Amino acid sequence: MTVTEARPAAGAADPQPAAPGTRAGGASWLSTSDHKDIGRLYLLTALVFLVVSAVGFVALGVERLGDGLQVFDAEAFTQVSALVREAAVLLFVVPFFLGLATYLVPLQVGAPDIAFARGSATAYWAYLFGGVTLLAAYAARGGFEGSSNIATDLYLLSMIVLTLATVVALVSVLTTVLTLRVPGMTMLRTPLFSWSVLVGGGVMLLTAPVLTARLIELFIAHHFSGELGGPGNYRLISWFWSVPTATLLVVPAAGVAAEVVPVLTRSRLRHHHAGMVVLGALALFGFGAWAQVEDRLDDLLYVAVGLAAVLPALALLGVLGDAARRGRVVRQAPLLMALGAVVHLVLGALAGAVLAIPALDLRGTAWEAGQFEALIFGAGVLGAYAALWYWAPKLWGVQLGGGSGTAAFFFGFWGAALLAVSDLASGLLSDQALLATAFRGESLGPVLNGAAAVGAAMVALGAVLVTGVIMARSARLEGRRADDDPWGGNTLEWATASPPPPGNFAGPLPLVRSPYPLVDVGADDDLGHDAAATHLAGSRP
Amino acid sequence: MTATHAPAPVELDVIPALPPAPEPPRRGRVVLVGTLLMITAGVMLFGGLLAGYFSARDVARAAGEAWPAEETVLPNVPLFMAYLTLLMSSVTAQWSVSAIASGDRRSMYVAIGLTLVLGLAFVNALSFSWGALGLAAGANSYASTVYAVTVTHLLVVIAAHVGFVVVGFRALGGQFSPRNRDLVAAAAAFWHFTTLIGLVIWYCLWFLEGGP
Repeated sequence: MTVTEARPAAGAADPQPAAPGTRAGGASWLSTSDHKDIGRLYLLTALVFLVVSAVGFVALGVERLGDGLQVFDAEAFTQVSALVREAAVLLFVVPFFLGLATYLVPLQVGAPDIAFARGSATAYWAYLFGGVTLLAAYAARGGFEGSSNIATDLYLLSMIVLTLATVVALVSVLTTVLTLRVPGMTMLRTPLFSWSVLVGGGVMLLTAPVLTARLIELFIAHHFSGELGGPGNYRLISWFWSVPTATLLVVPAAGVAAEVVPVLTRSRLRHHHAGMVVLGALALFGFGAWAQVEDRLDDLLYVAVGLAAVLPALALLGVLGDAARRGRVVRQAPLLMALGAVVHLVLGALAGAVLAIPALDLRGTAWEAGQFEALIFGAGVLGAYAALWYWAPKLWGVQLGGGSGTAAFFFGFWGAALLAVSDLASGLLSDQALLATAFRGESLGPVLNGAAAVGAAMVALGAVLVTGVIMARSARLEGRRADDDPWGGNTLEWATASPPPPGNFAGPLPLVRSPYPLVDVGADDDLGHDAAATHLAGSRP
Repeated sequence: MTATHAPAPVELDVIPALPPAPEPPRRGRVVLVGTLLMITAGVMLFGGLLAGYFSARDVARAAGEAWPAEETVLPNVPLFMAYLTLLMSSVTAQWSVSAIASGDRRSMYVAIGLTLVLGLAFVNALSFSWGALGLAAGANSYASTVYAVTVTHLLVVIAAHVGFVVVGFRALGGQFSPRNRDLVAAAAAFWHFTTLIGLVIWYCLWFLEGGP
């Protein structure tokens, strides 16, 4: 056996890689095939699109303050309503977690690179192109119910490009998890974020092509006949962010929470495999490609899947709550964000379960919007924020400020809660339609609409704040230098420098014998210390 | 604090021996797994398209409409020849894998060339069949769904061509050997996928609707 006398001080021997902002020229970004660069590009772009979507929600919220249409005309209102949802899902949540996985999964599994770096780069540029084209199509009065035929064609093509880019990026990430794990890291020892990407991404790989198929059919029908079959056919697209698929979109956010909570509470999951089962069930119940048409929504299967999705969400809350209870909770921004994401996930899953019950007749009401907002703007956005604050040392070599993190949590958590709960109540109490252009003026309607508008504004403020912080970090204006492992993490990404050098790891990695390889290294210490315990007790900065 | 994984200089020399990471997986396995994942996505894509086709057919038939429209005449012979050609190309694609497995480079070159030629013949025959069908895309839901399925399949076949062209150039560059043939196998696997999908399309769209 080859003996390594000293654990390599990651990155100490090699020069630090150039930070993003210090590259020789901007052109290097265009040709990069480094998975870390591609991941950063994904994250930044997705955040910008989040701001676009959140601002759109604010505009809709302002519109709902009156009795009728004041800001938009009827067509624009419908278009913006569709755009903000499409942007939140296809331009933010899906690509954000794809970008995070592109950056992080190779580090977590101990690989020097992602499986298909050029494939990932192609996927990113296709995503950027598709995203910009989507916005341009809407600006030119395209969209599902747009009045411009050419712009509507462009809209459908851009959506096809976005779904294909998602598939290509997924193949690269999934192949990395399946084939490039460091020796000893069996599938059951895979870190929970990578596992969530594997199960969530695997189901997404089965789901996204079905959406592509629908879009191709719609494109051919529209391009050659100018018909899309009326507003009812929008369900052929919108199923992608409705029950049950909406839950699938935030499985990686649940994976982020499963990584962050144990580490920041100085604890561990009682059963790592339980976490894996919970994430797997969440992904499995999120497979909804079969629920595209209204006829299916009264099936027993639809009701059963909608109700069943609550169980893994509650189980995740229980598993993480148990870990936190046995550990030591210290109020840090990533922990708050991760726990907030799980709370919103439970809220969204519960709302989805209620929505799936046909007797309650909540489909097509604001309840459906509230369910979407809890999952996407609650669980998805807070999961994204938690990932940014937790892995910032690896992403940019800095620790992001606790103050800005707490502010981002405040705006994100309470904004999404206000927005979602108001819309849930509007659907339940006022029976307000999902895309109503004449808003209920009686009883609680104005109050709820006002609360939703305030919630949307808070979400937008949080998005602007976070995007600003990350942009500033990219320009090297904010943050303080981070240690290689400032949180005392358990997984392999913390065994390398912050940010990681080219090739990711400067020296040999330990043989992985459990889901917590860095704790194992400490446990092997023959000094007689209980290194693992020391590690878990934490010696944080 | 004992040194666990932090890079602190103290006590690092007492970290126990770390077994070095063995060689990373061969690149070929990565390519094969990636190809299989892409094929999985492709199966779902065509599953979705065919589901759309059958769904539209059910709607039309429930409304008492003919499916396909009564005036539509399917060009059965050109279609049969087209998909038979595609099936033959799959044989030659597998021949290229077998050839390199036995170290027969010359046969591999021939097999790759034949695969590409037969694939182009399929593209040509399908285009001819579209012309013979005389159906304007968008004329009705039959036309829209048929073109959605077949055009998408054609694009995937072209993508498979690109893969085989790359393999062909690399073969000419002497990259493959009996022990290093995973890229050829991956390209062939994707080609087989396009053939299999082609046969399913032939059965569902043409044979079931009054083919030979």
